[in-house]
Amino acid sequence: MALSQAVGRVGRSLLSSSSSRAMSMSVKPAMNVAVTGAAGQIGYAALMRIANGELLGKDQPINLKLIEVPQGLKPLKGVMMEIQDGAFPLLNSVVGTADLSEGFGDADVCLLIGARPRGPGMERKDLMSANASIFKDQGKAINKSAKKTAKVLVVGNPANTNALVLSANAPNLDPKHIHAMTRLDQNRALGQMALKLGIGVSDIEKLCIWGNHSSTQYPDITHATAMIDGKKVRLSDVIDSKWYSETFLPTVQKRGAAIITARGASSAASAGNSAIDHVRDLFLGSGSAWQSIAVASDGSYGIPKGLVYSIPCLCPGDGKFTMVKDLKVDEYSKKMMSATAKELVEERDMVRHLL
Amino acid sequence: MFDAEPVFPDRPIRVAITGAAGQIGYALLPLICTGRMFGMSQKVSLHLLEITPALTALSGVVMELEDCAFPILDSILATDDPAECFKDVDVAMLVGSFPRKAGMERKELLSKNGAIFHGQGEILEAVASKDVKIVIVGNPANTNALILSYFAKGIPVQNISALTRLDHNRTVGLVAKKLGTSVANVEGVVIWGNHSSTQYPDVSNAKVKGFSQSIVEAMGGVEYLEEAMIPHIQGRGASIIAARKLSSAMSAANAACDHVRDWLLGSNGRIVSMAVHSSGEYDIPKGIWYSFPVQCSRGGKFTIVQGLNVSDFSRARMDATAKELTEEREAALSLYQ
Repeated sequence: MALSQAVGRVGRSLLSSSSSRAMSMSVKPAMNVAVTGAAGQIGYAALMRIANGELLGKDQPINLKLIEVPQGLKPLKGVMMEIQDGAFPLLNSVVGTADLSEGFGDADVCLLIGARPRGPGMERKDLMSANASIFKDQGKAINKSAKKTAKVLVVGNPANTNALVLSANAPNLDPKHIHAMTRLDQNRALGQMALKLGIGVSDIEKLCIWGNHSSTQYPDITHATAMIDGKKVRLSDVIDSKWYSETFLPTVQKRGAAIITARGASSAASAGNSAIDHVRDLFLGSGSAWQSIAVASDGSYGIPKGLVYSIPCLCPGDGKFTMVKDLKVDEYSKKMMSATAKELVEERDMVRHLL
Repeated sequence: MFDAEPVFPDRPIRVAITGAAGQIGYALLPLICTGRMFGMSQKVSLHLLEITPALTALSGVVMELEDCAFPILDSILATDDPAECFKDVDVAMLVGSFPRKAGMERKELLSKNGAIFHGQGEILEAVASKDVKIVIVGNPANTNALILSYFAKGIPVQNISALTRLDHNRTVGLVAKKLGTSVANVEGVVIWGNHSSTQYPDVSNAKVKGFSQSIVEAMGGVEYLEEAMIPHIQGRGASIIAARKLSSAMSAANAACDHVRDWLLGSNGRIVSMAVHSSGEYDIPKGIWYSFPVQCSRGGKFTIVQGLNVSDFSRARMDATAKELTEEREAALSLYQ
């Protein structure tokens, strides 16, 4: 049975071990958080932290809806046991299901971690198609069952194009609220830059990621500043451009592969961490800090309209965000931003039939 | 986000984690770095220890920690040298231990682990902070704690504990589910004894908001405890392995985080379970590491809660697990006579 059918049509939820709380600790009504690929590595790294209030705040009760493919329901059962063993006061209920309508029902937040991994002999084109199918079905289900105001974060790769397909199949949702995750790349870039400069990550501002969550991403330091020895400096004044292009850029772009080589497993913890960072800042706000979000372009910076493209944003909280506009873009940046846009246009062409 | 007054306002708190590249370490490290253990105002220095063959995997974990861009993470030390790892640490979480292989006798398990905790005890005594707080997670946790203490007599016994918080949290979760209430309403659950199949999850002193009757009765009486609840908790680890094909790393890490947080920051009047040195409380033999009901106050102090009701049912089970721990103690120490 093709994966897309399996995910879309198997109706039974084999596990509704929902333990509804007779009374909850706080006055806020619970929010519904749906997570796909919930029994996978990234889900495992993220779920406990979602349950303890890191995602939406320590006074926000949550109904967790964990979605898996039918083959994933048994391990999901084990994960749900562990969540129960976490004794989390904020968790109002936990449901496990392979039924998309049930899983996405009234969702306020959708964390779409699950995706089809690349199999042996699989061409990039095939990977695109297989995943586009999944996200088409999820788009339809979200369109039908989730709240119109739902905030969606696509983590599963190829994230940007998956988000594009999902959005095209979820016309009831404002495309503004359908994001692909590039926060991991931003965090990786911050981590490397902080190491190089011998400062804390909090001492760096306005470092951002443009474009595709792929090897064509552009980690842009031309607007960034850092506090060094009590003084605010522009990164482009203190960072050697050779180090930037020959060390920093490839390190950040190829980081995922480096971690697989070292760990023997992929970067689940840091990916889960970034997903939490992204949604938390969206809902709880992060002040004047720039956060990289891949979202439908409105044509700014010459990026083709509608392409799901990572851009620096401000997050005032409550699910809102604004794109940072009118930045000066130097020649190098223009070239890099173009290249990643080009790749995204090619990806879009591969999945045109599903839009 | 969880915040609290920092334990060390002027410097990072130094936390050593052994077995850091393993499953529990992987789940535990982000919890520490996002302030779940000491609050968002306390900077943290991580000291990560692995055995030499796992150093490459550990380097991958270090890379990921960098990639998380955690604001409160001050520095990371990754090494296979315990003397380097434990230098000046304030907290030592000993997760790494020798796993039980199929067909392995208990004596051999104790012997292999004895070697690890003997060495780590000596080194901690020599180089860690004088006030270092040690929690042993690696099994057999209680007896590993005893062995460590035996070889580190300069470390006050009150600073050495073993983890039974996972069993405690499992019991709280089960009570809440059975009674249809929030875990936040459940108080007074106790895990007595050994972190093994003889552990005794005790709800006879539990209080649950909204329930005026005895919780034992509300759960279904002694029969329910004996036939369902206790075996459920005792067998929980195996159930999770059967479902996940992997062991319960996430919930173990969560429990370890709860344990250290409450120990250092205080448990706010709540009763929690920790395996600590027995001085004869509740007629438990002295000198074993036994899980008791405790309350923790800020600064890493705990007191065993005295005067809880002990029914005949409870007494029998408390004694059975004490007996097992006494036997483990004899077996362990006999290796060194």
